[in-house]
Amino acid sequence: MKFLDVLLGRTKPAPSKVDAIFSIATAYISMETKLELHHAGTAGICFKMVSSTSFDRLKGDLEELLQLARRETATDYEMVNDEHGYLWLVLRDPDFEDLVTTLHLISTTLIESGFGDQLLSSVFKFTKEGTATYFIYTYKRGTFYPFVPLKGKERDAQYELKLGTLLDAELPVEKNRETWYPLWELPL
Amino acid sequence: MTQRKWYGKDTGLSVRMLLTGALLMIVYLAFLTILSRYVGYTFLLIFAALFVFIQYYFSDKLVLMSSGAKLVTPQEAPQLHTMVERLCSIADLPKPRVAVINSAVPNAFATGRNQKSAVVAVTTGLLNNLNLQELEAVVGHELTHVKNRDVLVITIASFLSTVAWFIMRFSLYSSAFRGGNRNKGAGAGILIFLASLLVWLISYLLIRALSRYREFAADRGSAIITGNPSALIAALLKISGAMERVPTKDLRDVEGLNAFFIIPALSAGSIMNLFSTHPPIEKRIARLEAMERTREGFR
Repeated sequence: MKFLDVLLGRTKPAPSKVDAIFSIATAYISMETKLELHHAGTAGICFKMVSSTSFDRLKGDLEELLQLARRETATDYEMVNDEHGYLWLVLRDPDFEDLVTTLHLISTTLIESGFGDQLLSSVFKFTKEGTATYFIYTYKRGTFYPFVPLKGKERDAQYELKLGTLLDAELPVEKNRETWYPLWELPL
Repeated sequence: MTQRKWYGKDTGLSVRMLLTGALLMIVYLAFLTILSRYVGYTFLLIFAALFVFIQYYFSDKLVLMSSGAKLVTPQEAPQLHTMVERLCSIADLPKPRVAVINSAVPNAFATGRNQKSAVVAVTTGLLNNLNLQELEAVVGHELTHVKNRDVLVITIASFLSTVAWFIMRFSLYSSAFRGGNRNKGAGAGILIFLASLLVWLISYLLIRALSRYREFAADRGSAIITGNPSALIAALLKISGAMERVPTKDLRDVEGLNAFFIIPALSAGSIMNLFSTHPPIEKRIARLEAMERTREGFR
């Protein structure tokens, strides 16, 4: 089919995968005990803003869902537009499992409403002795990769590689390192 | 829960591509049959194959050189790189290299023999005139060219056309050199010349048609990747509008690169559609408008 798609120049959106998100909750046990990485109580979902009437409706639905989450699991939320035209849903919860569950729920809602095509990634924030380490989940690949930004748009590539290697057994780590794209100025 | 896909299918476009491909194949097969009857053309075949292969293999370098495009690093063009990375991530495509051309003409192109060596280039005029969504739409169009391997498809489609062109030139020269020297090969020579001319003419038109269909396909791809057909409409209008305002001298500088551009640069007195590598802008916009209507649930 892929050959035929190329021959006829057909484009299909890449489907979003959400179930692998839960693996970060399992991997967190090792991250905390062996790597001394503690979750920072925040995570975010990033997707491309599309000006559409149904998108506006979805935004209302999401707001409702997030308010429900706020009552049920005390998950706080915030919507942030970034300079690249993407919308961030930033979630805050001191309980990591609640954070992962809410994030998964919102992702599923977005996909069910037909906006899965525009999902970019989810980001989980961790800290170790005050420095931030992020794990980025790419919806289209269904994989995670570490992102450790330093000052001046530099990355701690060595530490990122180490994290990727160490957590490979517990987390679906993205094999193609060229796609470990940086996400600068995260609103988390 | 299954959602109705707003982008649907463009069966008509697929059928037209297949039909054009089939017609090309028929023309080429007939040409090969004629060629195989006469020896002496094998070396031309090999020569043309070599020529086409080199052109294809070094397509990225050749186009970069002739367009004056300069590859840029993420440090040099952070916004552009982020845009490309995110679109590639959303569409699950490998990231091409990114280049910028210092030209006031707003335009963009994609080239490269495969997805790894692919380059997406934009002009400074494009960066300055388009807003974020419009720029995204143009980049989406070029990324679809890369995904659809359009350089490879057009190269394969035009291989025997190039052979026909070479033979045409060759038989012209050889008969001129032979002068009045009559031999029994003269009749065959004329036949070969006429066959090559015919094959070259027909295949030229067919390849142009194929190229136009690939443009439509890239427009569709951009709309699907960005989820925003209107942004591409706005970008196409801005680019074509700016083209009309730019002095023609500037346009002639880039005319040779037309097949690669999102909108070809043409100086006044535009040539017939039949010979164009790109479909007329109104047709492209009409198709995108239809996509936008279905996306918003109209009709």
